[in-house]
Amino acid sequence: MTSIKKITSRALFVPAVLLLGACCCSKPVKTATPPPTPPSAPPAQPIAVQPLGDIFFDFDRSNLTPEAEAQLKTNAAWMVANSAKSVVIEGHCDERGTSEYNMALGERRAESAKGGMASIGANPERMSTVSYGEEKPFDPGHDEAAWAKNRRAHFVEK
Amino acid sequence: MRSTRSSFAALCLTLMVMLLLPMTLRAEGTGEYIAIRKEGASRIAIVLDNTAAKGGKQSEWAKSLDATIKEGLDFTGLFNLLPAPLNIRNAQNGALDLATIASVGGDIYAGGSVTKNSGKPVLEMYVSDASGKELLARAYTGTELQLRDMGLRFCADLVELLTGKRSVFGTKIVFVSNRTGFKEIYMCDFDGQNTVQLTNSRSISLTPSVSPDGNYLAWTDYTSGRPDLYIKNLATGQKVSVNKHGVSISPAWRPGTNTCATTLSYQGDQDLYLIRSDGSVERRLTNGGGIDVSPSFSPDGSKMAFVSTRQGGPQIFIQDIGSGQTRRLTYSGTYNTQPSWSPSGNKILYSSMQKNGEINIFMIDVDGAGLLQLTNDSRNNEYPSWSPDGSMIVFSSTRDGRRKLYVMNADGSNQRPLLKMEGEQQQPSWSVTK
Repeated sequence: MTSIKKITSRALFVPAVLLLGACCCSKPVKTATPPPTPPSAPPAQPIAVQPLGDIFFDFDRSNLTPEAEAQLKTNAAWMVANSAKSVVIEGHCDERGTSEYNMALGERRAESAKGGMASIGANPERMSTVSYGEEKPFDPGHDEAAWAKNRRAHFVEK
Repeated sequence: MRSTRSSFAALCLTLMVMLLLPMTLRAEGTGEYIAIRKEGASRIAIVLDNTAAKGGKQSEWAKSLDATIKEGLDFTGLFNLLPAPLNIRNAQNGALDLATIASVGGDIYAGGSVTKNSGKPVLEMYVSDASGKELLARAYTGTELQLRDMGLRFCADLVELLTGKRSVFGTKIVFVSNRTGFKEIYMCDFDGQNTVQLTNSRSISLTPSVSPDGNYLAWTDYTSGRPDLYIKNLATGQKVSVNKHGVSISPAWRPGTNTCATTLSYQGDQDLYLIRSDGSVERRLTNGGGIDVSPSFSPDGSKMAFVSTRQGGPQIFIQDIGSGQTRRLTYSGTYNTQPSWSPSGNKILYSSMQKNGEINIFMIDVDGAGLLQLTNDSRNNEYPSWSPDGSMIVFSSTRDGRRKLYVMNADGSNQRPLLKMEGEQQQPSWSVTK
């Protein structure tokens, strides 16, 4: 729980600094009285963490890559912070290969993501999966750049 | 002198034909049909005469019938269609001179007439071999709106007569199209005519399969928010769903039963199960590690070909339904899917993704020998499905850009588009319907 809080405050702090920077640039004339540094005290509520993110797979694979595992930690933190919410994990494939097989592969990707989440403490009762196979590509392109984006487990807040 | 010479020539031709006939024509015991074609034989050269009619309505009917019969016979890829020679009728009495058939290289003559009886068309067709022996003489009746059906019934009789097998005429093809912006199930005639939309789920409808008796349609769709299997009684319109969590995909009916195999994952892995037509699970068929998907049954229903990743990448396996014994069929290539078991029982079609990224259709003997590549250098060719008579194959291809349906003869020859329709078409399944 403490590590989650740490992540939380850092996550809030970084966008705040960015925002300040943006403000300074857009108001070049004003010189006097720099704004007071925001207090380091954590904000009251709601607790905000990094948003849910998708994970990506190699062709014809449903095992988790190290990058995917890192993203699952972030997603698990989101679930802890948003304890009233559930997530739907959609399994997707690129257009290559055949569609019925990809329907099964998409489900294995979604289940693999769910299993990874559960293994680091996310409540499986609050996660459901659905496979879309190659039916709902994120990127309609026909090259590896598009395919890489389409081989994914997509996390949707419910 | 001249007529003597021509009759001599005709006699010679007749003799030649008679000598040749025993090689190519084989009369069956009952004489109901003759099997002309041997394995690998060339096309049947048929002289197709215009249908005779006495003006008015009848002439319009004749024109329409001629087009139907010509297109129908041409579609099968079995025939070499020849126009009737100018001297086919005796100039004096109008009698058929069948000796002229051989002079243009014809083996068979087909022609007839259409007359009007109580306002309805009556088509009388006559078929003979080049020696003048009558092979078929039959009348076809119907209403004016059934002209196409009448013409195709003759085509069906002719193919059965000459090949001894059932024909594609009267069969249907179910498939998926996104024409409306949603993937829905459609059905068309064997030749791509008369397309009708069967589902209106406005979700994603996939992998249609009609039971061998033509009574049920099974397919997957996302109406419930996930891929569930639906089974519809085509006569009553009653629809049931399998309603198990996880996926329910790629149904295939088991001949001789009212059950279909489909992939379900409610017990964890994607395994194959037998489902009754009421949507209930009869039993689990596979229990292997990994994905088991895309079943296709042998014509007697005793064996099932399917795709499995139990040994790594997707490959085709065959399971004996009684004993449960399973063996691997495909060893060439690393990504083999979508098996389709031939109506003759000895061949299996499948699609293989190759190193260059193309997907091509292959045919292999059930014992794993005789591997043959049917499509080549034409992008993605997928989802092969046999015509019920085993003479043709329907499949989807992106050879002209968007995914469309194509047909070919069972040997891979004569590949051409099946139908003109907006949007993309995929997952064709050739079916017998009531």
